[in-house]
Amino acid sequence: MNAFFRRLRWLAQRSRKEAELREELQFHLDEEAELHQAEGLAEEQARWAARRELGNLTLLQEDTRATWGWTILEQLRQDLRYAFRTMAANRLFTSLAITSLALGIGANTAIYSFMDSILLRSLPVSDPESLVVLNWYAKTREGDSVMKAMSGTTYDEPNSGVTAGIFPFPAFELFQKNDSVFSIVFAHYPSWQMRRLNVSIKGQVDVAAGWTVSGDYFRGLGVAPVAGRLIISDDDRAGASAVAVVSYGFSQKRFGGAANAVGQSILIDNLSFTLIGVTPPEFFGVDPASPPDVYLPMHTNELLGASNQFGFRAENYLARNYYWVHVMGRLRPGVTLAQAQAALAPAFQQWVAGTATNDQERANLPQLVVKKGAGGLDSLRRRYSKPLYVLLTLVGLILALACANVANLLLVRAAARRREMALRLSLGAGRLRIVRQLLTESVLLALLSGALGVLFAIWGIRFLTLLLANGRANFTLHAELNWDVLGAAAALSLLTGVLFGLAPALESTRVDVMPALKESRAGQPAARHTVWRISLSQILVMSQIAISLLLLVAAGLFVRTLANLESVELGFNRENVLLFQVDARKAGHKDPEIAAFYADLRKRLSAIPGVRDASLSEDSLIEAGTGLPLGLAGAPPNPANRILNIGPAFFRTMQIPILAGRDIEERDGPGSPAVAVINEAFAKANFGNRNPLGQHLILREPGEGDRLARDMEIVGVCRNARYGGLTRDIPPVAYLAYSQGYPRPDQMVYALRTSGDPLLYINSVREIIHQADARVPVSEVRTQAAEIDHTINQEITFAELCSGFAILTLVIACVGLYGTVSYNVARRTGEIGIRMALGAQRGRIVQMVLREVLGLAAVGLTIGMAAALGTSKFVESFLYGMKSNDPLALLGAVAILLGAIILGGYAPARKASRIDPMAALRHE
Amino acid sequence: MDRELPSRVELLQGTLDLLILRTLLAGPSHGHAIAKHIRRTSEDLLQVETGSLYPALHRLEAKGWIAASWKLSDRGKRARYYHLTPLGRKQLASEQSKWRAFSRAVGLILNPVDQEGP
Repeated sequence: MNAFFRRLRWLAQRSRKEAELREELQFHLDEEAELHQAEGLAEEQARWAARRELGNLTLLQEDTRATWGWTILEQLRQDLRYAFRTMAANRLFTSLAITSLALGIGANTAIYSFMDSILLRSLPVSDPESLVVLNWYAKTREGDSVMKAMSGTTYDEPNSGVTAGIFPFPAFELFQKNDSVFSIVFAHYPSWQMRRLNVSIKGQVDVAAGWTVSGDYFRGLGVAPVAGRLIISDDDRAGASAVAVVSYGFSQKRFGGAANAVGQSILIDNLSFTLIGVTPPEFFGVDPASPPDVYLPMHTNELLGASNQFGFRAENYLARNYYWVHVMGRLRPGVTLAQAQAALAPAFQQWVAGTATNDQERANLPQLVVKKGAGGLDSLRRRYSKPLYVLLTLVGLILALACANVANLLLVRAAARRREMALRLSLGAGRLRIVRQLLTESVLLALLSGALGVLFAIWGIRFLTLLLANGRANFTLHAELNWDVLGAAAALSLLTGVLFGLAPALESTRVDVMPALKESRAGQPAARHTVWRISLSQILVMSQIAISLLLLVAAGLFVRTLANLESVELGFNRENVLLFQVDARKAGHKDPEIAAFYADLRKRLSAIPGVRDASLSEDSLIEAGTGLPLGLAGAPPNPANRILNIGPAFFRTMQIPILAGRDIEERDGPGSPAVAVINEAFAKANFGNRNPLGQHLILREPGEGDRLARDMEIVGVCRNARYGGLTRDIPPVAYLAYSQGYPRPDQMVYALRTSGDPLLYINSVREIIHQADARVPVSEVRTQAAEIDHTINQEITFAELCSGFAILTLVIACVGLYGTVSYNVARRTGEIGIRMALGAQRGRIVQMVLREVLGLAAVGLTIGMAAALGTSKFVESFLYGMKSNDPLALLGAVAILLGAIILGGYAPARKASRIDPMAALRHE
Repeated sequence: MDRELPSRVELLQGTLDLLILRTLLAGPSHGHAIAKHIRRTSEDLLQVETGSLYPALHRLEAKGWIAASWKLSDRGKRARYYHLTPLGRKQLASEQSKWRAFSRAVGLILNPVDQEGP
């Protein structure tokens, strides 16, 4: 340590020390001369003798300095200074290199930060590593199974089978008993009806996202409240008083602070709850995809479900065949995932076998799978991991391209510095020392690019967030630059610096000193450092072309996919429609008054000046998806049939053509004969060529004996319109009048056909609904066009990003090509001069240069095409309306790239043809 | 053999350190005087190369065995005077005993006292 500080002090006093050494040696010389003079030499001779005895003064100084330590740092300082000087001397080169690398590093950092936040980050709870999530896997979703009914998400596994993380409540109790593995087990349930809770606080209503949790949920996660207390076991039992916990953000927004929220009485879906506490700011539940505003005890599902016709049924709570609760546990210290799996799987197996009633059910029992729970539920990971890996691959290719580009430019420059290298080698510089110096230059270049790249990454993250959020205000995906990400960026920069610097450094120091020194400045032989007559530089150009082609093909595929999606025939007019949702039932409206309320609201909305038509439906067309037992009179219900409850003038508002009969009208209300309009698909599937008008449809209410709910006359046939998504086949749909019985109206999505921008009408809409009933909040306000864009958000993102990537690639590749060809032309100035002096035409010179460029291009394109054909099937699932080897995308990419190559090669070729033969020869 | 060369240099270097330390035991001195002293005392048998003297002095200084300060020389010029540090004194003692053991061992081999019988 002592020695370290001594050296450090010396380093600081370096120049003083240099001066001191000079003085010390001068003193020595003086003394020695004095001595010689005393021996009888003349002063001048004495001086010379002293100097002679001292020997190589510079070497002596060098050796002495070496004893001061820090030789490596000393050399690094020299190298850095030299590197900065070289970079400053080649400003164009430096800025091109740094910009292209920075774009590559920035893009990688941005994508990586998203991966970090989605795929890698742990829940902000205590000791997340010991958490596990329980799942099951079943071989098939077809046929009979013990899973009679489910509430939650199931996922198809990539190869076969289905997996999900939902269990019957008795299974949860089974896991709770298994305390040899878990220190605590807890459950939670995000029911669909919880997603939009009507929360009324002192008369102010708004929609909030809810989540129900078991009594051990917060204790199991190890979360402490910032105010009040969190839900405990006593809160989660039948008959307990109704309590709620809210998120920190919600308490800020609605109460102006966590402390203010505690103890308040609030109405949730018109039921009274007491607010007991607030979760910490960083806590977002266990599903990164959907952070709740309100946490309620599991038992409130019964309470809230009772008021909704499709709500949670109390009898399902303890049912052995109803799969709904998510189960998580905390492993005891020392218990591994594999041990937990081994201990729990047989117990679950035994339990679930007891719920099966026939052989088919027994053959396809769900098997327990214990998964890591540090990151919470994997809904976000499942949705975004593949797109992110694809994007990471693409930006990785861009970085590789930028590296190849800079390596090539360095190589070109290194070739120009061959004489310098030869001179230095012949003067005794070690090859390692020179390689180190060149590497210092490239690493410095890379680090500067990395710093700039982080700036680009900040923009990139903002841009990507905007792109992914696509206008949604409650977008939950927040990527940020943290130390992990910055560390990754720094490591990436260093790696690229070494990667693109090493080859040129080794190449340029592999010099035969004598020939290199004898060479004239301009007349270096063309192919000196060749491997099978192909230079490293040519290989780099070819690989750049190949990589560019890959990226262009990707861009082509995604852009064509987007174009296909955007030209999908909707069957309705998406322009100038405002959509928003209201739920009067949650605000306390009851049957039959609720239907009248909705009808009155429609009238008031139609009266807004500029609103041409107004209607309503239980869901928007794009989000529709209701299947209830519906069939022709006298025939069994067909499960393929879909329904949509709509209000009057729905087809006129959405501009769906009526092919026969009429629209649903105001007269089709409660008490009047039940009617329905069917789409073409329904007519074709059920009536063939017969006229469906006047025929009857029967709707049944599922349950004991499927009670007859509605007997409807078909009064119209409409053209096929999209139902439940953009790309799915249009199913047979029956449109029912919303006010004519079961299913009774709950939430409604109003559609207003406006003149001009629909968003201009938002304020009038809010005002009218507030006047009609202040307890009813307006939510999900969007235009029809935005809703459609939202469903193809990923495709839009991919198309826009990849187009950006492709342009970037083209620019980088063109710059690289231009640099390489220019250099080659400059090197061959003499040769071209001679050719021209001997009578070669300018055109022939251009041709000669371009022929070489196109030769390289042909090889690069071939390799790139092979790679594109080989790899594009990995993005097949992202494409729509085309195959992964879409010829238009492939040929388009080749054409664009070829154009860019010719552009990049033509400029230097033209310059070559402008060479003045006399000047060139004189130069020689 | 080539390989012997470094070990000989090593030996010389170590010896030079020892000689410098021993010379400074008499009192502070500058580089030129140290060289002169070694030459004179060894009856001109040991010529200290300037090219290795100054690096050696700076190396010893870096190790903390000797320290330097600027003083006026006998003739009134500024000179860099080196003196032993307590650490250097200790080092000298141990180097000296090592050297004595080494030279005794070499002496024993070169001038054997009792020769074993044939």
